Amino acid sequence: MTVRAIVHRLREEYFDLLPEVKQAVSRLETEVRCHTLSVQQRLKLPEQLIVRSRVKECESAIDTVRRKGNHGKGEGNVFDPERSSDYSISRLRDLAGVRVLAFPGRILTEVDQILHTCFPEWISDPIKDASDTPLAHKYHGKFGQGSKVFAEYQVVPMLLGLYWEVEHSARYKSVLKESVKISELNAKVESALSDFEMGIANLLPDDSDLDSGS
Amino acid sequence: MNRDILQQAHYHYNFDRNMYVNRNTKKAFSLEFVADTPEEELAKHIDENTNSTGWTFYFNSPPSESVQRELERLLAK
Repeated sequence: MTVRAIVHRLREEYFDLLPEVKQAVSRLETEVRCHTLSVQQRLKLPEQLIVRSRVKECESAIDTVRRKGNHGKGEGNVFDPERSSDYSISRLRDLAGVRVLAFPGRILTEVDQILHTCFPEWISDPIKDASDTPLAHKYHGKFGQGSKVFAEYQVVPMLLGLYWEVEHSARYKSVLKESVKISELNAKVESALSDFEMGIANLLPDDSDLDSGS
Repeated sequence: MNRDILQQAHYHYNFDRNMYVNRNTKKAFSLEFVADTPEEELAKHIDENTNSTGWTFYFNSPPSESVQRELERLLAK
């Protein structure tokens, strides 16, 4: 099979799976919102909880299959025409994705525990920084044995999550992707934001409400 | 640093392929290989004569012939 044929097959697979992916993201977002409603309803300033969802786009899915689907032999970023059967969109864990942004840390911990109880079978795969320190929670799983697609949810410190939205779109596939300087700056920003979130969490009383003092 | 050694030897980073490439010497180093190879060894590979008319790919896992053909096709563009 030629490289072009592999890409065509993956596109076809993506659009075959798309209805199920849309269903999965809709179900996951609904369940996450439902199970975190009690937290959402008793938030006090400056606490925040935001739920976002997305379906992975076709070209992004194909890129990921190419990058990660080579079983550790992905150097060169090309499909191997002789191993065409090794590439599959359905193996991607984040076709359907929900991200929960929480602030401060105690809200994040509470939400993570609630969702972990709701999705006990889902596999944990935390997002870590370059020094292997966990930055955010990430889980993937399927809605039942018959499901063809994986879904993923993340529970992310709000400041880091909002920063990543800007940082990822600025670096992905750009000349900055390989920049050592930017990687160093990125590590500093992530560390500073984590420190800030932890500092806030330590300073605020458990029943904080900034308005209550005024 | 390895990146500096490659840049001094006129290798350019190819963002699509995640490789350092020199079209004159027809050598390409994968990002993974560069990360895992000591500076002295990398410098030796840069200087070595490959006696080849085609491309030489320095990967941690040597690419199959079909992958080499595909990479040569893409690098020829």
